[in-house]
Amino acid sequence: MNTNQKIAHTFLTSRLRQLLVAVLSVTFGISMYVFMNSFMAGVNDQQSEITFTSMPHIKIYNELPAEVKPILPQPKDDNTALIVNSARNIRYTEGIKNADAIKDKISKFDQITGVTTQLNQNIFIRNGVSKANATLSGINTVSENLMFKTSEYLVEGDLFDLDKRSDGIIMGTLLAQNIGVGMDDNVVVTTSDGISKSFKVIGLIETGAISADKSRALVSIQTARQLFSKNKSYATEVMVNIKDYNTAVTMANEIAKLTDFKVEPWQQGNSQLDSANVLRDILAIAVSLTILIVAGFGIYNIMNMTVNEKIKEISILKAMGFNGKDVIEIFLTQSVVIGLIGGFTGLILGRIIVRIVDNIPFKIATLSTLPVAYNPTDYILAFFFGILITFLAGYLPARKASKVDPVEIIRG
Amino acid sequence: MATLSVNNITKYFYEPVEFQVLKNISFEVEKGEFVAIIGKSGSGKSTLLYLLSTLDTDYEGSISINGIQVTGLKQNKLASFRNEHIGFVFQFHFLLPDFTVLDNVMLPALKLNRKSKDEIEHKAIELLTLLDIKGQEHKKASKISGGQQQRVAIARALINSPAIIMGDEPTGNLDSKNTKIVFDIFRQLAREQGQTIIAVTHDDEFAANCDRIIELSDGMLVDTI
Repeated sequence: MNTNQKIAHTFLTSRLRQLLVAVLSVTFGISMYVFMNSFMAGVNDQQSEITFTSMPHIKIYNELPAEVKPILPQPKDDNTALIVNSARNIRYTEGIKNADAIKDKISKFDQITGVTTQLNQNIFIRNGVSKANATLSGINTVSENLMFKTSEYLVEGDLFDLDKRSDGIIMGTLLAQNIGVGMDDNVVVTTSDGISKSFKVIGLIETGAISADKSRALVSIQTARQLFSKNKSYATEVMVNIKDYNTAVTMANEIAKLTDFKVEPWQQGNSQLDSANVLRDILAIAVSLTILIVAGFGIYNIMNMTVNEKIKEISILKAMGFNGKDVIEIFLTQSVVIGLIGGFTGLILGRIIVRIVDNIPFKIATLSTLPVAYNPTDYILAFFFGILITFLAGYLPARKASKVDPVEIIRG
Repeated sequence: MATLSVNNITKYFYEPVEFQVLKNISFEVEKGEFVAIIGKSGSGKSTLLYLLSTLDTDYEGSISINGIQVTGLKQNKLASFRNEHIGFVFQFHFLLPDFTVLDNVMLPALKLNRKSKDEIEHKAIELLTLLDIKGQEHKKASKISGGQQQRVAIARALINSPAIIMGDEPTGNLDSKNTKIVFDIFRQLAREQGQTIIAVTHDDEFAANCDRIIELSDGMLVDTI
């Protein structure tokens, strides 16, 4: 310990209560930063998880191109007039006839964690007089479950029974409620082409995404192909999951090079989810930084008081030969020590709070406790900001201390 | 060569109204001299002392200490100059109350950083013994009596063996017994160690026993005996 640090140490320890208050304000600020960010990250993760229970990171499907290609080339000379009336895109094909080929092609990418095919169509579903609009998803149970953990969201029944019974159907809980059916009841599905088929409810699914639970019914993809009279490899959508869903856009661009079908990353058409995540992050950072800044004002206040209290001592030190830089070092050291102690205790307290919140019961949708995340970056940033703010808050009073005129104080 | 040489010093105060405190003051002090600066309240004697001490730099004229002209030096230079060459004893002892007696004495030497900590501690204890306050060194400075505090302040002023010791009413706050002790210490330092001592005082008896008296009146030198 050099002389300036020794003086800083003596100043700090001679006012233990002040030291404690200053440290506590940093501790509080940093623990709140950790808590807010962990909580928001937890909520974001939870939201994404719910979102991706029914939505893939990347979806490949058959869609008409947005722009109409010119039917005839522009005439080269001015003497020819070209008039095309009512140019329009005509849909020659529906769905993807040979989905297996696409599946083979894209499984080369090693970022891909799962691929499954779906056959989705709008249908009417009926139980006696009550009827509802629904989306019938023909799914490949095994790969679907690998990608979306579908079986975890089944509140009743078994997902793999779909493969065993061609007349089995699994319905969203709200959809089932709407038309008043339960397990083992019969429903009639009518397609837009007017074909009707009777199904038996062999499972109920609740994902937490209301729109899906209200409108989704699952059958096996073979049953769906049969119902809509499609060929063996037919699917309306190929769903792809990748390792990091934030990179979906670049990955989608890669896949688009391999196929003429539309390749859509999840952010497209779901910008509200994307923006909600970003907004929650901004909110968390704004609130936690505000708390840290308030803590900074606390330190500023305490250090200012200390400087005023020690103004006589500062004058003596200066008379004895300590210069302005020494005085700044002495007082800044005090702030930084407060920041370091407060920082470490803040991280520990923050961690404890997060643990407690992680155990608070919260039984809505698929949640059982409040969602939190444990990201090391939150802790590192909290510590970094904490030190930065105590440094700034300590610098101003320290500079003021260095400008004390000893003559004025000593002469009285 | 004079230890202290003051050349034509003039100083103004600007608050609350412009006022000339010191008018064309010049004098020299030799090594080992024990000088008292006296004068009525408001005569400018303390102001003069703070100019000599380099704490106050706002004046006209020039001051040299130990052959070095201190007028015009930068603040940081002056701080290390004070550290090495000047010892202070103030009226109200001005120790650092949170530090022990020993730490108070050692601080200027630790700042100077020329000797090891053990050597400094040894010297500090030697000085405290000389000033008859041995045995108190691990007490907090605020926990000893006023006379003892003033002697600790003297020990602190001596730790770097400065060329000049400056006192602003060093005995102004002490009873006659302690005044005598402090005076005798100064006397001894000047005589035996050849240290120059300049003290502002109100105490006529104290002044009368010095080698020389500089008297100020209305900012001018009156008399040099």
